[in-house]
Order: sequence, then C-alpha cells, then structure tokens
Amino acid sequence: MGKTSRIAAAGLAAAIVALAGASADAKQKVKVGFIGPLTGGVSVNGIGGRNSADLAVRLRNADPKSKYEYEMVVLDSECKPNVAVQVATKMAADKEIIAGATHYCSVAAIAAVDTYHKFGFPVIVWGAVLPDITYRNKYPEIHRVNGTMINQNDANAALISSLGYKTVAVIHDTTDYGKGHNEYFSKALAKIGKAKIVGTFGVTADQQDFTAELTKIKALNPDVIYFGGLTPIGVRIRSQMDKLGVKAVLDGTSGIVSDAFIQGLGPLAEGTLAFREGAPVEKLPGGKFFMENYNKQKYDGAPEAYGPFAFAAMDMIIDTIEKVGPDRKKVIAALANVKDRDSIVGKITFDDHGQNTVPVITKYVVQDGKFVEWADSEYASGKRKLPGQK
Amino acid sequence: MTDSNSKMPAGMAPGLIALGLATAYLVALLGAEKQAVIISLLVLGIGAVVGAAWLGLFDRVSRSFADHEDALGGSAIVAALALAAYFHEDHFVLLLVVTVLLTSVATLGLNVQFGYAGVLNFAGASFFGVGAYTSAVLNAYTSVPHLIVLPIGGVIAALIGSMLLLPVLRTRGHYAAVVTIAFALLFKTFLEVNDVLGGPQGMQVKGMNILGWSFNDNIEAGGITISFYMGYFLLSLALLIAAFVLVRRLERSWIGLNLDALRLDETAASCFGLDITRWKITAFLIGNFLIGIAGALFGMVGGFVGPNNYTFADSLILVSILLLGGIGNPWGLVVATFIVVVVPEKLQTIQEYRFLLYALMVIGVLLFRPEGLLPRPVRRYFPRWRP
Amino acid sequence: MDLGLFAQYTMNGLMLGMMYALVAVGFTLFFGVLDVIKFSHGDVLTVGSFTALATFVGLSALGLHSNWLALLAMLVVATLAMAFLGMLIARYLVMPLRSAPPLNTLLITLMLGTVLRECVRLFYPQGANPKPFPALLPRASVDIGEFNLRLDNVLMLSAGVLVIVGLQYLLNRTKLGLAIRAVAQDEETARTMGINFTGIVLITFALGSGLAAFAGVMNGLYYNEINFGIGLYLGVIGFAAAIIGGLGSIYGAILGGFLFAGLQTVGTVLLPFASAYKDVFAFAVVIAIMAWRPTGLIREKISERV
Repeated sequence: MGKTSRIAAAGLAAAIVALAGASADAKQKVKVGFIGPLTGGVSVNGIGGRNSADLAVRLRNADPKSKYEYEMVVLDSECKPNVAVQVATKMAADKEIIAGATHYCSVAAIAAVDTYHKFGFPVIVWGAVLPDITYRNKYPEIHRVNGTMINQNDANAALISSLGYKTVAVIHDTTDYGKGHNEYFSKALAKIGKAKIVGTFGVTADQQDFTAELTKIKALNPDVIYFGGLTPIGVRIRSQMDKLGVKAVLDGTSGIVSDAFIQGLGPLAEGTLAFREGAPVEKLPGGKFFMENYNKQKYDGAPEAYGPFAFAAMDMIIDTIEKVGPDRKKVIAALANVKDRDSIVGKITFDDHGQNTVPVITKYVVQDGKFVEWADSEYASGKRKLPGQK
Repeated sequence: MTDSNSKMPAGMAPGLIALGLATAYLVALLGAEKQAVIISLLVLGIGAVVGAAWLGLFDRVSRSFADHEDALGGSAIVAALALAAYFHEDHFVLLLVVTVLLTSVATLGLNVQFGYAGVLNFAGASFFGVGAYTSAVLNAYTSVPHLIVLPIGGVIAALIGSMLLLPVLRTRGHYAAVVTIAFALLFKTFLEVNDVLGGPQGMQVKGMNILGWSFNDNIEAGGITISFYMGYFLLSLALLIAAFVLVRRLERSWIGLNLDALRLDETAASCFGLDITRWKITAFLIGNFLIGIAGALFGMVGGFVGPNNYTFADSLILVSILLLGGIGNPWGLVVATFIVVVVPEKLQTIQEYRFLLYALMVIGVLLFRPEGLLPRPVRRYFPRWRP
Repeated sequence: MDLGLFAQYTMNGLMLGMMYALVAVGFTLFFGVLDVIKFSHGDVLTVGSFTALATFVGLSALGLHSNWLALLAMLVVATLAMAFLGMLIARYLVMPLRSAPPLNTLLITLMLGTVLRECVRLFYPQGANPKPFPALLPRASVDIGEFNLRLDNVLMLSAGVLVIVGLQYLLNRTKLGLAIRAVAQDEETARTMGINFTGIVLITFALGSGLAAFAGVMNGLYYNEINFGIGLYLGVIGFAAAIIGGLGSIYGAILGGFLFAGLQTVGTVLLPFASAYKDVFAFAVVIAIMAWRPTGLIREKISERV
C-alpha cells in the first residue's frame, strides 16, 4: 500500500469511528468513580469489588431506558492511607466525576473521608467496616451500604464463649482498622464474661516476622488467637504459628474472608474462624441475579465477600443520578433520604450518618479449603473438632 | 560563530523566548486530558529539546539566563502567575503545580547539602516528613499562627537532623550513606509504631488559616470561583522564590566558595585553614531547614500525613531529581522536578511504571550524562564578565 | 526467663542472623575487589527467590513431585541465574563507572535495585501480591519444654554454616581465593602477577550474587512467602551489617549479620516497650556504632590516600 492510500485509509477509519461515536453519543456521558485496593495483599477483594461495580455500570448502559451513558473511573488505593488520600483528591478534584463507590480497606476509607467532605464529593463505601468512617463525623457526603465491625465482633465473642474457650490472645494491626477490631472484640468478650484476654499484641500491617510475638503468646498458652487484621499478615501469622508449634485456634475477622487466605495457606487454613456482616451471596435476595450476570461477563476473578455490596453501592449511585441528574449537590441531597430501598443485598436504609443497618452476621469456618458457614460445617455438627473445642 | 557569540554578553531575548515557549507548553500539557494528546505533546517536547540541544540553542539560553538572571527570574515568576491564573478553577492542576513548587524547595535544600558541601543525605523525604508532622501536631494541638508553623517545621527538621551530625561528620563515603539510610528506615518505622503521632494511620492536618482566611475554602469573587489551592499556590511560590534567592546568594558568597572547596578536596581545604566541621554542619542544617519548611507547608496542602508518604523510596526520588537536574544548579532542579512530578501524573498509562522509569532514567543519566540535564556552570570570578 | 523460651528466641535470632550474614558477605566481597557498594544486592536476592519459585511452578507443571529434587533444581537454577545476573551488573554498570565518584556507583546500583524490584512487581504474574513459597523441607519437630525444635530450621542453619565454611575455604585455601584476595589488596600488583583482573572481579560478583540467591531461597523456605519488597529490607540490613562489621572483612560481615539479628531479638525480648520497636532500636544502634567506630567494628586495614 502506498503512503497516500495508507493515509486515506487511516482517515476513513477515523471518520467511521467518529461517526459511530457520534451516533452512540446520543446520550450524555456521565462519569462515576470506583476506588479499591487493586494491588497488594488484598487485591483480590479490590478486583472483585471493581468487577461487581463494573457490572452495575454495564447492566445500566445496556438498558435502553437509562438517561445517561456511564463511564467508570477506577483508581487504586493500594490499601494504604497515604495513597487513598492521593487518589481521593484526584477523583474528587475532577468535577466530571459525580459520585463514587469507594473503599474496601478501612485504613484507606478513614483517611479519605475528610477529603471527600472538603470537595463535596458524594461516596458510598462498599466494604470498609470501621464504625468511625460514618460515625466519627456527620459528613453528608459519606454513606455506607455494608455494616460495621461492631456486630461481627459481638457474634465472634458469642461463638468463642459458647465453644467453651477460656483464654484468648489478641493480635491486631496498629491501623485504625486493627485497633477498632481489638476494641469492639474486647468489649464484646468482657460483656459475656466467660473468656478472658491474656495478652494483646499490636503489629504493623506490613510486618514479616511474627516469631517474637508468637513466642510470647506460646508462653501464655491461650486457647484462641484472635486476629484483627487483613489477609496478608493473617497468612503469615497462621503459618508461623505452625512453625513455632502454637496449637491455638485462629479466630479472624471479615478481613481474612477471601480466597487469597486459603490459597496462601493450603491445608494450614483448616479450622480458622471468620465473621462477616451480611448474608452469603447465595442467600441474598438478589444473589442469584447477581451471580448469573457476573458469570456472564467472564471477569478475571470471583466477586469475593464484598462484591455484592460494591454492586449495590454503584447501582444506588446510578439510580440517584438517573433521578436527579449529574449534579453532586443534588446527589448528596437525594442520598440523604434513602429508606427501605430494594437492592440485591436486601433493603437499604441510611441513618442520619449515612450508615446502612445490616443485622445479619455470617459465621465462617474453613473446612477442606473453603469458607463454610459455621452452622453447616462438620465442626458445628460435632463430626470434626477444633483444637480444644468442648 | 558560536565562539564570537560567547565573547559578548548574551541578550535577554533567547531566555525570554525559551521561558515563553516553556510556559505555553506547560499550559498545553497540564490542560490536556486525552491520553493521545498528552503523548503527542510529550513526544513533541522531547523532540524540541533534542533538536534545540543539537542546534546549540541551549547554550544561548543558559548564557542568557546567567547574564540576566534577575530579570528572567522575574519573568519566570510572572509566567508562573499567568499559569495559575489560567488554571484558577482547576483543583488538580493547581495541586500538581504546588507539589512541584514545594518539592523544588526540598531539592534546593538537598542541593545545599550535597551539591555544595558534598554531604550525602538519603533521608530527604524523612526530613520533609518531620516538617509535615510538625504542622500536623502544631495545627491540631496548639494555636500557633500557621505562618509561624512553617519556620518551626524547618527548625525541627534541622534539630532532628542535628542528632545525625556526629556520625555524619565522622564517617565518609559509604559509611556516611549508611547513617542517613538507617535514619530513613528508623524514621518510618518509628512513625508506624508510635501511637502518639497517629501510627500507621497517619494524621489529618488542618488547613492553613491566616487571620481568619481559611485556605481550604474556595474563593468566590464576582461570579468566578477560584480553587482553594490558589492560596497555597501563592504561598508556595513565595517560599520557592525565597529559597531560590537564598540558595543563589549562598552559592555566590564566600560561604559557597568555602563549601565548594571542601567538597572538592577536604584535605586541601583543611590545609588552607577551612573549618570543615563548621561548614559541613552549616550546610546540613540549612538544607534540612529548607526541606522542613517545604514539608510543613505540604502537610497543610495535602491535609494528611502518614508514615508511608516518607519512605526511603521517596528519598531516592528526591536524590534522583537532584542528579537529573544537574547537581548544584538550582534552575536545573526546578526543571527536573517538573519532569519527575508532572509527567507520570499526566501520563496515566505509565503511572504504574513510574518508579521503573525514574530508575531507568537515572541509570541512563549516570551512564551517559553524569553531570545532569543542566549542569552547574563554572563559578565566575567577575559576575558580568566573560574572558 | 524459661530456658525453653530462651532457646526459642535464640533459634529465631540465629535464623535471621544467618540470612543477614549471607547478604552482608556479598556486600563485603564486592567492596573488597572493587571498593564499591553494589546496592542492588538485596534485589538480586528477590529476583533469585522469584526465579526459584518460577522453577518450582514450572517443575510442578511438568509433573515432578519430589521435594528434594525440586529444591535442588530451584537452588541450582536460582544460584546460576543470579551469578550470571551479578556478572552482567558488574560488567555493564559497575565497571564502566570505576573512574566516577563512588556515589555514582552507589546511586546507579540503587536505581538498578529499583528496576529489578519494579520488574518483579510489574512483570511477574500478579507480582504485586505476596506469593506463597512451597515448604519443601521435612516439617518434623520436637517439643522440648517451650522450645519447638524443627527439622527444617536445623537443616537451613546447617546449610548456611556449610556455605559460609565453604566460602572461607575457597577464599583462604584455593588459588582462586588467593587471586581474589590479591585483587582486593592491590589491583596493580595483582595485575603484575598475571591475574586477570576483570575475570576475578566478574567471578567475585557471580559468587556474591549466587550467595544472595541462596539466601533468597532460604528466606522463602523460612517464611513460606515471598514478595517483591523482601530484597529492599534484607539488602539494607545486609548493608548495615557489612558496614558495622567493617567493609572488606568477611568475619566483619558475619559478625555484623548476627549482631543485627541479635539486636532485633534483644529489642523484642528485653526492652520494655512494644516489640514493633525492634527495628527502631536496631537502626538506632547502627547509627550509634557509626558515630563510635566510623569505619566499622573490624576496621579496614587501609590508610588514607591523600
């Protein structure tokens, strides 16, 4: 092909693309945002959330009745507070982005809420569980569809006490997330009054070597090690427990409910406890609908524990924009009155802090390489026993 | 031709033209949103720079700058103001420009330490963090006027830096490097485990507030909304100008001469009666002071401080800016800071690859142009005279 | 303190110290022959452990299930690959800068370290996430009071001791070792004696980088997890250990490595505050040692050249 004809061909192609774009552009384009941890130790959860939010956008764009065409801007918080502030600033400073479904990590969310408030950028949190995110301030911009960590720690303490365990050692990461877990778990356990905490250890969220802490714990010889932190150090702690011959039960939080935990540990994960607010996907009102559509899109990973919440958050943002138009202030005003709104995770009602109430807590135990609901497990039926289970 | 030119004082025209072109280019680059446009602009920029270097135009520009530094410096300030006025509504662009200005102040500090006195500092980001944490703590718990917080940040950075003085002065070369590297790691770990300063979660920093004017509110004037970053921009610009003038004066004075002498040959310098310890201490403290002030203001701009903002990797980026710009040349530093801060931010596609690209860039510079993009010109005995 | 617990802490400290010492020895070897610091050393370790992991994944895909064979293959592949990488670095990045100021070498290798680290993060599949590393050594263990003695730890420690003894033998008892020591002492004289200077430098870099790969595999086996950042941390600690021991001395490096691990362990056990402060404590001691002994504990036997 000669040079001129090549240029002509390129020009023609450009014209066709432009025309096609113009005809598809009949609807106004509206940008919405998504923030989650897409790299680092908890990236599977972030990617699951991103895919789920993306599904909400795609389903809406495929709907001929929608008023706008949506484009999702995705940013990576890396689960670090400093990066979260950076990307939150970036997203909120871009006036074209109307609202966002943001944050799996509490450390990231709590650092970024002030930024959202400063810019008047409405967000719906889809996975972070620290109560302070909604309750520390009364920011009209901040909402959350998932529950907080308070209820899951109540359920956790109740289960530990009912299984007859007497002594618990606590390891928590020293971020607000880990500290929050430590606080609410200790309170819940003390209220029941059957088991006592024999030692509390704060560790940094990127620590590698836990042999020192675990050696001290070994001397304390607790029945249970409660762990308030996320998957990466959860994996390290469990495998180093084995190295040092610590026989206690590892009792985790929603932060370790992910496939990465099981992949990282293999058979060592067996018998680990974990808790999460909200019902499992298959028991959600819209669970079947969600999973069917999710599988149709052939995403590169499962939606993970909080995917349905990410879908619900993004869907609510889009619903609101459809109703009041792409205007941040109007979106904030509309999100202030959400009552008994139907969603795939059940009815959503925001209180005056923008917090949804999620009363259901799911108790998990790892059995044969899977997170199984406690009630359905062989540990509950007595077929298998956790170390020291009565 | 070039030879005969170099004998005459250069005109202001080349410098002004270069400045005008650079400003126009920056406006275009910062305003561009489509990735294709940004990439073509960057290619154009690289092409223009290579072409200009090939035609020997840089030589003229740099001589023009050397001969008319004050006038052209003034024009650069006007250009910066024009740039900010153009983007008065755009939060993100202004934030980016503020980041460049304050990072430049910090690298100027490193420049005094390493470029002039030859004292290595691999903990630049840590001292920047000292400044930022100072403003976080003072703004939260005290009512010290915020403008005074800035120099306090500088003083604290210098004070904490002075804890390193003994080992820094006693060691040489690699042994000296380990002192600041160890400090950078110690500092980050300390912040992470220390609850008083927010631990790994960091702290929120209250925004600047001067006599009731809060910097964190947008300014509404006659129907125009001006981004709240404008106040920070003006303050950062003033800070950069002050730091720049200070560093230039320092370089040209006999202090600068002493520093040069001791960097080039410590033994010879001490034979001629220079007090090595004294000058090293002076340079190290002045450098840390500048870094600390910049950090204190940046803490307020960002509204957040956390241990992960001030890691060893960030210190390395500061050092690489120094190297890229040309050690010892303040103009080069500002240019290099623009490149290192703005390019990855605008070019989303390379965002993830930015550390890799910095590193490759520095390796290339070290192998093929060890003196940096704009090397420091040789000191002149008579300021306005060429042999 | 309980004797069993004391034994446990000692064991933990010894394992850490062995890894640090292996890294520190590399720094000291390079410094010996070329008077340079190769700061990418820690990241060579990372690349080494990822090479080993990739080898394991490849072998399992081929259907090999013998732990011992897999481990052997991983060690051989990783060590050889890193030895080769070390030679490349020496030939194309370190030697061309011999006439430049020492800082330039320090910087170029620091940046090379960043390149290696970022390459692992960006180009290894899912490289940004921590990777599980297979536990290939027998996991039998004996409980002696509070002390849990594990076979794999004992095996790793003995392997480390063997490697260090082997290195000593190589340096002190063989002709190659003699040549390396000659180059380290005086380049000019060594050349006059007919020693191939470039060759010896390359071999030394290969040797040091191979050691790093060994330490990388050991690190993986010990923690059962690797990530792209391990090398930065281990590299800095190894460098600090080599420095406090005194650059250029193998014994200094080993002393420095175990000293640093000792400081961390003491920091955890004896200090009244939280164990997370152990690194703050250890690095503060490093800075203090530098102020006290500016050229390390075992001083370099070189007088100032003027």
